Amino acid sequence: MDYEFDAIVVGSGITGGWAAKELTEAGLKVLMIERGREIVHGDYPREMKAPWELPFRGRGDAQRYKRDHAVQMLNRHFTEWTEDHFVNDRENPYELGPDSAFTWFRSYQLGGKSLTWGRQCYRWSDYDFEANARDGMGTDWPIRYADIAPWYDKVERFIGVSGASEGLPSLPDGQFQPPFALNAVEKSVREKVSARWPDRRLTIGRTANLTQGKEEEGRAPCQSRDICNRGCSFGAYFSTQSSTLPAATRTGRLTVITDAQVEKVDYDPATKRVTGVRWVNTKTRERKSATARIVFLNAGAFNSVHLMMNSASEAMPGGLANSSGVLGTHIMDHANTLSAVALMPGFEGRTSFGNRPTGVVIPRFRNLDKADGDGFTRGYSFQGGALQSGWGRGKRQAGIGADFKRDLRAPGAWRMVLVAFAESLPRASNRLTLSKHLDPLGVPQLEIHFTHGAGEMAALADAKREAAAMLTASGGQVLFGMDRPGPGGTAIHEMGGARMGHDPKTSVLNKWSQAHDVANLFVTDGAQMASSACQNPSLTYMALTARAVDHAVGLIKAGAI
Amino acid sequence: MQHLRHKQPRATRREVLAGAAIFALATGLPMPASAAGEAPSPRIALLLKTVAQIVIPRSDTPGAGDVGVGAFLPLAFAHGLEGTREPWRGAAAPGLLRADGSLRHDLWLDQELNRRAGRDFLALPPAQQAKIVAQLDAEAFPAGPPPSAPSPWVAIKALILTGYYTSEAGASKELQYNLIPGRWDADIPLKPGARAYSSDWTAVEFG
Repeated sequence: MDYEFDAIVVGSGITGGWAAKELTEAGLKVLMIERGREIVHGDYPREMKAPWELPFRGRGDAQRYKRDHAVQMLNRHFTEWTEDHFVNDRENPYELGPDSAFTWFRSYQLGGKSLTWGRQCYRWSDYDFEANARDGMGTDWPIRYADIAPWYDKVERFIGVSGASEGLPSLPDGQFQPPFALNAVEKSVREKVSARWPDRRLTIGRTANLTQGKEEEGRAPCQSRDICNRGCSFGAYFSTQSSTLPAATRTGRLTVITDAQVEKVDYDPATKRVTGVRWVNTKTRERKSATARIVFLNAGAFNSVHLMMNSASEAMPGGLANSSGVLGTHIMDHANTLSAVALMPGFEGRTSFGNRPTGVVIPRFRNLDKADGDGFTRGYSFQGGALQSGWGRGKRQAGIGADFKRDLRAPGAWRMVLVAFAESLPRASNRLTLSKHLDPLGVPQLEIHFTHGAGEMAALADAKREAAAMLTASGGQVLFGMDRPGPGGTAIHEMGGARMGHDPKTSVLNKWSQAHDVANLFVTDGAQMASSACQNPSLTYMALTARAVDHAVGLIKAGAI
Repeated sequence: MQHLRHKQPRATRREVLAGAAIFALATGLPMPASAAGEAPSPRIALLLKTVAQIVIPRSDTPGAGDVGVGAFLPLAFAHGLEGTREPWRGAAAPGLLRADGSLRHDLWLDQELNRRAGRDFLALPPAQQAKIVAQLDAEAFPAGPPPSAPSPWVAIKALILTGYYTSEAGASKELQYNLIPGRWDADIPLKPGARAYSSDWTAVEFG
């Protein structure tokens, strides 16, 4: 068969961009298909707008948001500056299963969520890759840290991750650019926590914001604005636009199509291979197709699964590459809540300048070499930071007039915030199915079935206690804290549904992110995850994507696919 | 448009729309919505400007009434900022609720201030007006845990502050505005009299 392309990549976000870069750099002719509109790097119309230049001063039209962005508006990064980087919920509906709660935050555009992501980059350790085998929840990962470590190196060097090496077994160090510094309060909390709990370490967030520019790639160092989600014309944070797309484009082997929603991956039962994809132009409703030797699904965890379900055929009635029957099952997020907020007295004479684009992290310390979780077998970690309050404090205070105005002129009291991310356990009952309802293009909608489990609740209860203990031991006065997670999706770490595993009977993908059932189909976004750890997952998705491409290219060269 | 609003706080709906169109042309942004059929009467426009100026008065920088907060408030109320279009759960006199069950915060404020004044609030001398607003404010933010049903004043005050500190004068004269700091200094002395940054987005968001 003559293929139009060597490879088709569905999706242009964090992993789609990586797949396109690696495939084209390996010499393949690639078609990358994006359902959303084109966004050209540097063309971020609201990036530089002052609040007074926006109709609703950056807050946005709450009435319109309720109508068109009922879910997206719950994301704290959704503002009048960034609203164009998130979907219209009315036009992109999804269903919830009974008793389910899931806020599905989505960015349908060239670059996908790479434009809006939190940029935190953490390696997994073998505590994570061995977790399922250790407590028997889920299926064992077919890979270990040693398999992915060189790919972490490669990804970190290319995207640029700033961070501090700490030598922690639960959070391996990487190829870091110089870290952003801790502020006065964070430095003090780091010292006091380490003194009292030698196994706990507060360190600066490891973030894909450059502290050293990559001039050869047209990327300037971070300007300390912390408005990344608007788009950064400096190219200082990693996005498809700033990093992988220019690299892939430079090869001359990349074709990009936008406004194209893939409806189906074509499967040929005679050869047991996928042959290409079909899509509908979301503006003209015109339907087209293309063929390729291999297909990479990078549509975002739930959308890649959704596409596989919608690609059911006579030969594969349960969905593409779903002989195991587990497609769509064992989806995860992280159980996410605000564990503690404390006033931090004693630093009144100190301040900072600039807006640091990252917070701090206290990596996992529970259930490592001893089982010390009360009612939970996995871990959690904290992210947060110390900040001085701004004028917004006036909304919660009594006071009017000249004195009030004078008070709000100065930076407010220092406070420290710790937010917990608890590992979400893989459960068969948390799953994606196809709804009977159709989306505006006539495609069956996705139905999300999701609840947090008892283990996650126990972890967050522990996190609340420990956050309060650490901040109190650091001289803080805890104001409040929570131990109930937000609905599923709150962490925006949705993953799983096409898990990787040893056994084709219980998993969809093998250790190369390659479908057990279809040798030329690869799924390298969050869908492939067999467990969730408690780290932000994007770095691991990128490393697994680069690793999968290397394997796929090897198979092509060997004539195996 | 700031200039237009400043000079003509009682702009007609047509003038507001014209201003909006100029704004859209100048910025390439979607045309800002109007107060959607709730353009304030001259009385309400004056009341909102007056109250905004009482909350944030003129000092060495302009006050909230000076910078157009009086015109921002009806827009914010009509479009539900600070939850002002959520169904109102408290007691309300007839005529103050919209068809969707939300409270007309502007009309409530007029009625409440007149009630407290015992006569036309706007006819009182400025010192009397400030005293009444101070009482309303103090009752809305009592010591101890916040009341289960917040006073409508809480949202109104929040929007006055929002309107002021996101205006050019509030954000960049009263406070400092620096879109591109260019560096991160993690730990430096806080000099007496230093002004906070309105462009410290996280600080603003978390209050």
